[in-house]
Amino acid sequence: MEKTSGSRLEACFVFLMFVLGVVITAISWGYGFGSLRRPGPGLYPVFIGVMICIFTLSILVSTVRSKAGGPVLDKEGAKRLLLMAGTFCLWIVAMPLLGYVVVTCLATYAFCKIMKLEGWWKPLAVSVGTTLFIYLMFDYWLYVDFPRGILG
Amino acid sequence: MEGFDLLYNGFINSLTMVNLFACFIGALIGTIVGVLPGLGPTATMALMLPFTLSYGPTTGLIMMTGVWYGAMYGGSTTSILVNIPGEAASVVTCLDGYQMSKKGRAGAALAMVAVGSFVAGTLGILGLQFFAPFLGNAALSFGPPEFLSFMILAFVLLSNLSSDAPLKGALMIAFGLFLSSIGINPMDSYPRFTFGSDTLMQGIDFLPIAMGLFGISEILNIALETYVKPEVNKIRLKDLYPSREEVRRSIAPTLRGSVLGFFVGLLPGPCTVISTFVSYSLEKRIAKNPGAFGHGAVEGVVAPESANNSAVMGSMIPLLTLGIPFAAPSAIMLAGLRMHNVEPGPMLFTTNPDVFWTFIAAMYLGNIMLLILNLPLVGLFGKIAVIRPQILMPVISLICLVGVYSVRNSFFDVWVMIAAGVVGFFLLKWKYPIAPFIIGVVLGPTTENSLRQTLMTFKGDLSLILNRRLSVTLLALAVAFLAYKFASPYLGKKFALKVEPDNTL
Repeated sequence: MEKTSGSRLEACFVFLMFVLGVVITAISWGYGFGSLRRPGPGLYPVFIGVMICIFTLSILVSTVRSKAGGPVLDKEGAKRLLLMAGTFCLWIVAMPLLGYVVVTCLATYAFCKIMKLEGWWKPLAVSVGTTLFIYLMFDYWLYVDFPRGILG
Repeated sequence: MEGFDLLYNGFINSLTMVNLFACFIGALIGTIVGVLPGLGPTATMALMLPFTLSYGPTTGLIMMTGVWYGAMYGGSTTSILVNIPGEAASVVTCLDGYQMSKKGRAGAALAMVAVGSFVAGTLGILGLQFFAPFLGNAALSFGPPEFLSFMILAFVLLSNLSSDAPLKGALMIAFGLFLSSIGINPMDSYPRFTFGSDTLMQGIDFLPIAMGLFGISEILNIALETYVKPEVNKIRLKDLYPSREEVRRSIAPTLRGSVLGFFVGLLPGPCTVISTFVSYSLEKRIAKNPGAFGHGAVEGVVAPESANNSAVMGSMIPLLTLGIPFAAPSAIMLAGLRMHNVEPGPMLFTTNPDVFWTFIAAMYLGNIMLLILNLPLVGLFGKIAVIRPQILMPVISLICLVGVYSVRNSFFDVWVMIAAGVVGFFLLKWKYPIAPFIIGVVLGPTTENSLRQTLMTFKGDLSLILNRRLSVTLLALAVAFLAYKFASPYLGKKFALKVEPDNTL
């Protein structure tokens, strides 16, 4: 059996986690390990960093040896994941500029379309309903201070 | 008699409009979440944390437990009606529940599950009411070495019981512990991993991590799946009457499931899920006709559903008596209580006894509410199960975004939630357990304090921990469990830790 893209991706991820473990250990050492008698602020994170290195190395070995596991995402799935994550990010970036009402309505509409909700009136109804619910719940009832943006 | 006076006061406190409303809303939302496949009780509880901030800690605790509890009730509905478990603890119910439905006994199965859950819930609350104050008093003698030993035991059990790959569970705990160390360390006011950022000085908040890992990752997962509309059988009120034979066969499994579930609830890990598997296996093992299991045996439906309800109450014991959550939903509860400056643990019963007793009283009321909700409205909940994710997920996505932002008015928290969601999506795909990560985040500060205080108390000589009887017992249990885990493949099937039923879904 050939090595699949799914397990290769996981191996890369685990390797990155190993590097992170090394970085955590190195940075923590710089905070001052102290001694067992008088522990410094770095002692605890050094232990954690070392544990992360040990665990990731062991998982890495078994992941590299393993040949099971298909691809995590197909092309369509990857596209949809990117679109979903992109919409989440756009909501944050655009909110201070356009205000939460417009951005929330647009983001809900976008999510509906990404998830293939057919037609235009159903997504519109969902997005207007969601925005109204959020306005009533968070703005009107809980007094959350949202950015209003240039549209007020 | 003092306990009854406190419980009486608890009832007086819980019978306020706010607490009753919180209990009802929690139970209702929990049932809906349990019915809907996908979003579980943990994500919902995290999502509801911002709402609880407007009220007191007791109200928040009641609402969140209502969600957890309601999800256990509601999870069985879709398992029985459409063979789709609403949440993980109802997977086992599909085995016999759906078979009963195919035989035209769906109504009876739902009724028996609702009554069984009520009985189990009530027994669980009774257990919590009697054991928690007793254990809380015992926990007063815990010092830093005992807490450290307890953490080690909890982490060993958690990493082993949460997934098939204990190393993955252990790695998740380690990352959770690391994440909790970001920010100013309260012991010596030293900033760690902040890289000069003012935002990181405060540390990474628990809520966006929990909502990202449990909410956003699940939304992404559902968004990428192909939706198949389930067929739901219509249930009328008169269909809910079980036969005399079904009632007779359900009594003992309900009681066994309740007791078993309560004790499994004390274990670290996904206790509600484990309790259902253990309970199902037990019923099948002691049944006169084990061949009926998987073909619509009522025992295989009521026992696991009773077990998961009492497991919820069992898992409240370590949270309330030691301040140590053993399951992801109780970790969310701990975070919620800390937001209200209430620290559960041995001192809870002396400093905030009203919180505990009001909570207990509200749970009795909530259990009755759930029974009333679940029996007549089962047809309605069945209809909710067919709401398309294309409508539901966009709404939940936006509530997650706004909910996280609303807690601290921080866009940084929203970025953290999205990052955690994307990472969580891949972790789920690669079968890394999420719950140990969250529990690691919550227990991080306590673990560090216990470790450093133990080291300072023993002047660096950790072997002195062996002079503490309780610590030695806890560490010995951890070592024994690890030894058993390593040895079990060589001991044969008879000694293997088996919690799954023979049937696969």
